[in-house]
Amino acid sequence: MDTLKIDENPLDLAEKILKDIKSSEGMGLLKCIQCGMCTSMCPGARNSDYNPRDMIERVLEGDETIIEDENIWNCFYCYTCHSICPVGNSACEVNQILRQMAINKGIANDKVRPFTGFIDVMMDLGLGKIPSIFHDDLTRDIGEEWKEKNLHLDEIREELGLKPLSMPKESIKEIRSLLKLTKLDKRVEKINE
Amino acid sequence: MIKMYDTKPPISPKLDLRVGVFICRCGGNISDIVDIEKVKEFINAEVVEEFENLCSLNGRKIIRDSIVNKDLDRVVIAACSPITHEKTFQDYIQPLNPYLMDMANLREQCSWIHENPKKATEKSITLINASIEKVRQSQVVDPILCQTPESAAVIGAGISGINAALSLAKQGVKTYLIEKKASIGGNMVKIGKVFSPVKLAEECGMCLLNPIMNETIWHENIEIMTNTKVLSTERRAGNFNILLESNPRYVDEKKCISCGKCIDACPVEVPNRWDDGLSMRKAIYKPFSQSYPDAYTIDMENCEKCGKCMRKCPMDAIYLKGEKEITPLNVGAVVLATGHKTFDPELRPEYGYNRYEDVITQSELGRIMGVNGPTKGKLKMLSKDQVPRRIVMIQCVGSRDEKPDGHGYCSKVCCMVALKNANIIKHKYPDTDVIICYTDMRTPGMYEKYYKHGQDNGIRLIRGRPGEVNKKGDCLVVRVEDTLQRKFTEIETDMVVLSTAIEPSKGSEEIADIMDIGLTEDLFIKETHPKIKPVATDVKGAYVCGTAQGPKDITDSIMQANAAASKVAEIMNDGLEIEPFVAEIDDEKCNLCEDCISICKYKAMSIKDDQVYIDPMSCSGCGKCLTVCKPRAINIHGNIDEKIFATISGMLKDKKEGERRMLVFLDQVGYTAADNIGVNRIYYPESIYIIKVHSVNRVMPKHIIYALENGADGVFIGEYPGDLMYQEVEKKMNQIREEIKEHDMDPERLQFSNVYIPYFRGLANKFKEFDDKIGAMP
Repeated sequence: MDTLKIDENPLDLAEKILKDIKSSEGMGLLKCIQCGMCTSMCPGARNSDYNPRDMIERVLEGDETIIEDENIWNCFYCYTCHSICPVGNSACEVNQILRQMAINKGIANDKVRPFTGFIDVMMDLGLGKIPSIFHDDLTRDIGEEWKEKNLHLDEIREELGLKPLSMPKESIKEIRSLLKLTKLDKRVEKINE
Repeated sequence: MIKMYDTKPPISPKLDLRVGVFICRCGGNISDIVDIEKVKEFINAEVVEEFENLCSLNGRKIIRDSIVNKDLDRVVIAACSPITHEKTFQDYIQPLNPYLMDMANLREQCSWIHENPKKATEKSITLINASIEKVRQSQVVDPILCQTPESAAVIGAGISGINAALSLAKQGVKTYLIEKKASIGGNMVKIGKVFSPVKLAEECGMCLLNPIMNETIWHENIEIMTNTKVLSTERRAGNFNILLESNPRYVDEKKCISCGKCIDACPVEVPNRWDDGLSMRKAIYKPFSQSYPDAYTIDMENCEKCGKCMRKCPMDAIYLKGEKEITPLNVGAVVLATGHKTFDPELRPEYGYNRYEDVITQSELGRIMGVNGPTKGKLKMLSKDQVPRRIVMIQCVGSRDEKPDGHGYCSKVCCMVALKNANIIKHKYPDTDVIICYTDMRTPGMYEKYYKHGQDNGIRLIRGRPGEVNKKGDCLVVRVEDTLQRKFTEIETDMVVLSTAIEPSKGSEEIADIMDIGLTEDLFIKETHPKIKPVATDVKGAYVCGTAQGPKDITDSIMQANAAASKVAEIMNDGLEIEPFVAEIDDEKCNLCEDCISICKYKAMSIKDDQVYIDPMSCSGCGKCLTVCKPRAINIHGNIDEKIFATISGMLKDKKEGERRMLVFLDQVGYTAADNIGVNRIYYPESIYIIKVHSVNRVMPKHIIYALENGADGVFIGEYPGDLMYQEVEKKMNQIREEIKEHDMDPERLQFSNVYIPYFRGLANKFKEFDDKIGAMP
C-alpha cells in the first residue's frame, strides 16, 4: 500500500518539468486525462515496453523512479504524441526532460556515450557530421549506395561545382576553444569514464 | 488635455423647495445611540418630525398629513437602509412622486456601526443633510411602461423551437415559427430511436415528435413559415421589426396532394440529405413522409427545368418560376432555437472517414438503423451486403479536443447516443460484437442505469482514445491503448462509428450577427448569465433555447424551450416597467458620430431613421455614453449628475477643523455589503460616509475632483467584479488619478476596491485601512 503523506505534493516533479527550459510554453501536462491516444500511435510502444501515457501518469504521481526507467530511452522523437494529444500535452518533450534529468544524475552515461562521437567530430572538423561509428548502421538501413556516396562525397561535390565540406584551420581552432570554454570536453570525459 | 468639467458644480441650491425630514427611532435601534433631539436641533428644514416606527401605518399617516398640510415638495426619511424600506416609503409619500424622497441610512450605516453617541449623532446630521441636498435636486420622473405586442417569433423549428412555439401559443401569444428548411422537425426526425433511461428501452422518435408537430400545425395561434430566413431585425422598446425572406417551394402546398407522381417523372437524382447522403432522392422531393407542409418541393439547385413533373401533376400544383418573398413582421419577443450541427469527421483524417466506406458517424448509423432509412432498418456494412461481425465506436471525435478545429467542451449526449445505438444493435443482432472506446463514460443521473443495462446486454467498453483507423486485409483496424490494462491493442473490426461533437449551427451564427447577440467562445448563443439567467441573451426580449445555446439532449432542450416561452410570457402578461433613470438624446445636439453606439455595453443604442435611438428597455443608466459624447447631446433622466454633486456637498457640510471625512461610492451590490457590516454589528470608522449610486460608472472624474477640492479627505470606489461595467470602471481609475495629480493632490486619496455581498468583513477592514492610510497622510 502507498501512503500519500500529508506534506507531500505529487505535482512537484510535473512542475519542475514544466519549468524546464525544454518544455514548450503552455504545455498541457497537468491537463492529461490518461486517454491513451499517445500510446495508441507510438512506434516506441509498438516495439518495446515504452508507454508515453504511463510515463506521464508516473510523472503526475511524482514517481521519480521514472527517471531511472530504461523504457524512456525507447522514444523515437517522432512527435506523433505531441501532435495528436487532445489537451496539448507533449509526451516526447517530457521524455527529453526526463532523459536530461537522468544524464544530470550521471545514470545515463551508457545511453549517451554513442552520441559523444558527434562532439569528437565537432572538435576535429568544426562541423556537425555523422560519426564513423554510425556508418555501418546507415549502410545497413539505407544501403550500399549510401556508403558509396559518403566515400566519394568530395568528388561528387566537385562535380556539382561545390567546395569541399571543410572549415578553415583558424575557424576550427576557434570553435574548438569555444567548445572547451563551455567545458564540453570535460562533460565528454565524464561520460566516457 | 481638454477638461470636460468646471471646478464649480453646475448646480443651484433650489432653496425655495419645502423639505420635510422624518426621523425614525426604530424602537431604540437608532435612538439608543443617536441623540434624536440634538439631530432635530441641527437640521434645517420646513418640517422635522420624529416617530417610534415610521414604517408602521401610523408612520404613514404622519408623513402623509405633513405633506398635505405643510405643503411639502420633498421628503427625507432618516431611518433604516433604503434596501429594506425604500419601496415602503416611496408608497407612503403619495401624492408626491416616489422619486422626490430620499432615505438617510441612520441604522445599518450609523447606529449599528458606531458606539460613540456623540460621533454617531454628528454623523446622522451629516447623512440627513446630504439627503436634503440630494432631494432638492430630485425631479419628478415616472417609470417607463413599455407596451409589447403579444406576439413572438421563434427562429428554428426543431424540437426546441416547436416546443417553445407551442407553449407560447397555449399561453395566448401569437407565434410565428420560422424555419429555413422545407419542413419543420429539425434533427430529431432523423435520429430514428430515442431512449428512455427510466424504461430502459428505446422508443420511436418520430412517434413522440409527430403528435407535437401536429399540435403545432393545428394550433390557431401558430403560423408556420418554412423555407424562410431572417434578413434583418430592428429593436424598439419591446418591439422587434423583423424582415423575413421566403424561398419559393415551386409546388403550391394548397394544391399538392402528395401523390408522388412527380417523383417518378423527375430524371434528376441527388444524394438525400435527410439520409445523410446514404440514399438518393429526386430534385422534386418531400424531405420525409411526415414533413410539414405536407407537400413536395423542388430543389432548384439541381432541377433541370425539364417540365416533366409539371406534365405529370394531376393537381397543376407545380410552377417553375417563383420569386423570393419578403415579409415584414412585428413581434414583442424573439426565441432563438437555431439548433446545432455535428463535427465534420473529415477534420480527423486519422480515423479514415473519407478513405473507408465502413467508417461512419453515429448520425449515419441512426439512419441505417431507422426503419425509414436507406436499408429499411437492416444493419449492413456500406461496403458489402453483410451484417458487421464487430462494430467499434470511437467517442469524443471533435469533443474534449483542444487541437485546431476541435472543441474543448464535452458534447454531453454522445455517451448516451453510443449506448443507445449499441443497445439497439445488441438487441437485434446479438452476434455482432460492439465495443465502445471511451475516455470517460458520462452518464449522469438515470442515464447510469441505461449504461448498466447496456453492459448487461453485452456491450464491451475499452477505456482509451484511439489514435488511428487503418485497413489490414479484409478488416478495419482500430489502434487504441486499453489504458486500464496498460495494453497497446489493435482491434480488427468490420465497422467503425465516430461519435462526432455537437457544434454551433451556421444559423445560430447568422442570427447572432443579424441581431447583434453575443456568442460564447465556442460560438454558441451566449446567455446573460450561465448560472442564473440561462435563457436570456444580452439583447432584451430575445431568448435562447435548445442546442443553439450549447450541447444538450432532447429533454433538456424541451425544458429550456418551455423556460424561454415563460420568460416571453412574463413580458407579454405583465408589461415592462422600467426604472426611469435611463439616457435620453437631444437630436438637435447629436452629430450622429455613433461613438455612443459602439461604446454601449448594454446594446441600448442604434440608428433609427437617421437619429440615434436609445432603447429604454436595455439602457442601464450607467452613463458611459455621456463620457464619449462630444456635443454633449446625451442626458440621463432624473438629474443624476446634479444629485451626486448635491449629495457630496451635503456630506461635506459643516466639516470641522481636524475632522476626517471619506466618501464611499457603492452601487446596489456594494451598498448591500455595507449594510451587512451594520447587520453584523462590525465597527468601522465614523469618517466613512457611504453614497449609494445607480452605477459606480456614473461617478465621474468631475465629481471626485469636486469632492477632494471641497473637503473630502479621500474617495473610495467599490465595484462588484461581476458587474458588466467593472472593467470600464477599473480602467477609468488610473485616468482619474492622473487628473487628481494635475490638481496638485495626492492620487492615493482615491481608492478602488472589489466588493462582494458576503465579504462584508473584508469591506469593513478595507474602510479601516483606508482611514488609517488617509490619516497618515500629511
